[in-house]
Formats: sequence, C-alpha cells, structure tokens
Amino acid sequence: MSRGNAINKEQDACPDGIFCRYLGRNQSQPGAGAERLAMNNRLTRRQILRLMGATLAAVSLPSGQLFAAADPLLEKPVPGAGHKLPVIGMGTWRTFNVGNDPQLLEARTEVVREFFRLGGGLVDSSPMYGSAPDVMGYALEKLGIPESLFAAEKVWSPAGGSAREQVESLEQRWGVNRFDLVQVHNLTDWRTHLAALQEMKAEGRVGYVGITTSHGRRHGEFEQIMGSEDIDFVQLTYNITHREAENRLLPLAKERGIAVIANRPYDGGRLIKGLQRRGEKLPRWAEEECGCNTWADFLLKFIVSHPAVNCAIPATTRVEHMKENMLAGRGEMPSAASRKRMAAFIESL
Amino acid sequence: MNDWASYSLQNFIPFTENVYFRLMERMGETFWPLHLLTLALGAGAVALVLKHRPRIACLLIAPVWAFVAVAFFMQRYGQLNWAGDYIGYAFLAQAALLVLISLPGRGLGKSLHWKSPPVLTGGALVFFGLVVQPLLAPLAGDSWYQAQVFGVHPDPTAIVSLGVILLGLRSLAMWVAAVIPLLWILISALTLLALDAPGATVLFAVLVIGVLGLIGDACCNVAFLKRSNKGE
Repeated sequence: MSRGNAINKEQDACPDGIFCRYLGRNQSQPGAGAERLAMNNRLTRRQILRLMGATLAAVSLPSGQLFAAADPLLEKPVPGAGHKLPVIGMGTWRTFNVGNDPQLLEARTEVVREFFRLGGGLVDSSPMYGSAPDVMGYALEKLGIPESLFAAEKVWSPAGGSAREQVESLEQRWGVNRFDLVQVHNLTDWRTHLAALQEMKAEGRVGYVGITTSHGRRHGEFEQIMGSEDIDFVQLTYNITHREAENRLLPLAKERGIAVIANRPYDGGRLIKGLQRRGEKLPRWAEEECGCNTWADFLLKFIVSHPAVNCAIPATTRVEHMKENMLAGRGEMPSAASRKRMAAFIESL
Repeated sequence: MNDWASYSLQNFIPFTENVYFRLMERMGETFWPLHLLTLALGAGAVALVLKHRPRIACLLIAPVWAFVAVAFFMQRYGQLNWAGDYIGYAFLAQAALLVLISLPGRGLGKSLHWKSPPVLTGGALVFFGLVVQPLLAPLAGDSWYQAQVFGVHPDPTAIVSLGVILLGLRSLAMWVAAVIPLLWILISALTLLALDAPGATVLFAVLVIGVLGLIGDACCNVAFLKRSNKGE
C-alpha cells in the first residue's frame, strides 16, 4: 500500500472529520511537509473541507461578517521553502495552561477544533508555558492530528536537559512525531541550543529552526543573530502599539529571507480589551478600505499585512474569539497607506 | 529598551484568572466534606489559644499546612506554575516549624492581653479566615465549591494560622512562624493583582494587619522592657 493511500485511509478513519496526519500518537511516520503537499487527491479534500469550514463559519456569524467568512484564509510562503502558512496562528501562553482539569481540557479542545475547522495552521507553545504542551497533546489526541497543523515549539534552558532531550519530551507531550519548527526561547543559551537544533534539522528531526523574543527585549542581540546565523524563523512582538520591529528587524527578516511570527498581537489582551471596554467604535474607513468589521480584524490585519510578517499568533480561551481571530485572516488586507492610517488612528485615541 | 523595565507582574503568572479560580473550585469539589474537619481544626486551634494552650494549637494546624502543601501545591498548582513545588516545600517547612515551636514550648504566649495589638489583629484575622472568607464566594453568586476554606485552600490557611500565631506566640517564635504565611499572602495578593481578579485589595489589607500585629508585639515588648528597667 502506498503511503498516500495509507494516509487517506487514516483520514477516513479520523473520528472528528478533521484531516488526521497520523492515526493515533507517536507512530513512526517520517517527515511530513513535502509528502503532504505531493498528494493530489488530498489537496482536493482539503479544499472541500476548507469550503465546508468557511460555510459553517459563515452560518454562525453575524451578517456583516458573511463575506469575510467566505473568503479563504490568507497564506504566506515561508521564504525559501514551498511551504505556505495561514496568516493567523494560535498562541498558547497562559490560555492553554490548565493542568489536568477535565472541564478546561474539553473547553480548550473546542478552541483547537474551531481553529483547525477555520483553516488554522501554526500552533506555538513552549516548555515555559506550564501544562500547555500537554493540553495540546490532549486536544490532538481527541481531534486527530489535522493536516494543516504546523507545530511550533521552543527550547528553554530553565526547563532542564539538552535541546534534543527537550524536543523529545515535548514531542511526547504533544503526541507528534516531529515539530515543524523549534525555536530558542528568549535567546536563552542560544549558541548551544541553536547549534543543536541545526544538527537536528540536518538529521530531519525538526522542520525549521528559529529564535524568539518578546516585549521588545534584546533586539540588538536578536538582530545580530538574524544577520549571522542560518535561521528560518524569528518570533517577536509586533502589534499596532509596539512597532519597534519595523525599524530594523522586519526589514532584515525580509532581506535575509527569514519568516516572521508576530507574538502578543493584542499586547497580552490589553489592547483589544481596552478598546472594547472604552466602547471605541471602528472607523468606517477601516471597513471600506480593508474589510475590518471588528477590532480583532483591525488589529490582526494590521500585523499580517506587513510584507515581512508571515503569521500572527493570538491566544484565546474562547471559541467565539477564535472565530473572530480567524476571520481577520480573510478578505481584503490593508494597503501601505491604510496601515499608516490605522496606526495614526490608534495613536490618536 | 531596558529589559527589566519591560517585565510586568503578568509575565510571571502563567495562567488565566478562570484557570486559577477553577483550581480553587476543584479543591472544593475533590475534598468536600473534608472542609468540615479542617474548619473544626481551625476553630479548635483558636479555642485552645484563647484558653492559653498554644502548644496544642500549633500542633493542630501543622498537619493542615502539610496537607495544603501536597494536595494543593504539589499535586495541582505545580502543574500550572513551575514554582508550585517550591511553594509546597515552603508549606511543608511551615508545618515542621509549627511542630518544632510547639515541642519545647518556647516563645509561647502564657497569657492574652486582650487589648494588645497582636491579640486584636490576630483575633481579626482568625475571624476573617474562618468565618468571612468561606462566605465570600457564595455571597458573590459563585458555587459553594468555590468557597475558600481553612485547611483546604492556601489563603485562609495562611490567614487563620497567622492569626493563631499572633494570638499564641511571642517574640522571636512569633516572627519566625509568621514569615511563610505572610509571604504566601503577599504572593497570593500579587497573583490576584496580576490576574486583574477581585480580592487582591483584601489580601493586601490582611498583610498590613498581620505586619501591624507583629510590629505591635515588638512595641509592647520594648515598652515592657522600659518599664522593667525603670522598676529596677
């Protein structure tokens, strides 16, 4: 039986109707990406599922968002690779650290289900996030591993063990055979960890390697690493009120062909909650120029429309917020002029 | 940007408000009706202190600290926060400390001066921790399982114990025994503050009352020494 047929059978057996990359956990299936893309009939099924997802989303949304829901989720290519990533991913900091509470495990599983139903791809976690990797493992076991999953993890020195040991432990916790991306968290011991991750990438044990920072920390050193090391991804804080990365890091990423993940798109929730709490109204031009119907649209479209940014990773505990987040990756995106107008508008508040 | 200036309290709390309060609720669900026993232990400890028997009071509350250390911090909170196990060890140390203090009987208050600061503040703390705090969640419309109870949840355990310590211990023993309860109350208040959750102000007030009780005891001791010196 060819691998393609085997996987298609597994997909048929997947109980939740979401494409399963593998049936069950930790079965040995080497490298995912290229093989996934090579199977013609699966692409057709993916398209069908996405259409179904978009239709379902449209049915469950207010009429103003119907057109946006019908549009496909925008994808951007990883520079230098054939891989395309949906522009809206999912973060897990704080939101997915729920321990072994059955009630909360179920609730987070529903959030993950919605994420993939609406075409989501990249999920980012870290050993620093407490039980979040285990919670992802729980959800993936329950839902099956979706075709579109792009599993991103990190190595973080305080978690203990070498990079290789941490990755192996995290694979078990997620229930995946390999991560598509492993990043050095907040540059901790980056020389040692990055060297180890490069080795693992060469062995095919991880897909891509990268580094992360947040809150605008250590941008000088970050830039130096981007300039001197062979990395595929950077993750940094970029949102409409924290735009330091526009000065040097984002242009450098574009120049060096490094994919960019934007963390803290809502500034830890403060940004969007603040706007909603104050009852701020979306400017009419935002809807006309780039189809913004919600503040989530406004804030996320601003980020992912930057030419250097591949993906934003908002985190949420609620299915309805996940729907809003995923809609932001659809429809018209702001032009350079609109982006300036958006930033000026937020600054004026 | 200065790295340290970019850190906020939220950066150190790796869970959300609803996860934290759900943890409290799970403790209630899992251990009910143990609450009745732990409340009885707390009330018994207070009664013993009021009857000038602080040694047995300390022995009564020591196992409660060990239980919260294991059941709350090591088995549950530790899943959410890497610091959970370490806080659990601190609670175990407090249990051991209470046993140690009670065995030789040193630093135990022989009699209660009803209007002295440690007795007034200690009385207020045990009343709040044993009676008021368990009622806060139900009065706010939450389920009874969310009620925070001495011996099951860490906040009332620390508050009531601090009250008993202020009522029953004196001098160095009181200060030493008060450190871990005060530290936990501070951590808990900061956690609630970071989560933007209700109750942080109340815990900061409890912290201030506890510290005032300790300082009041020190002042009483100084005044007593001065009077003794004049008498000589």
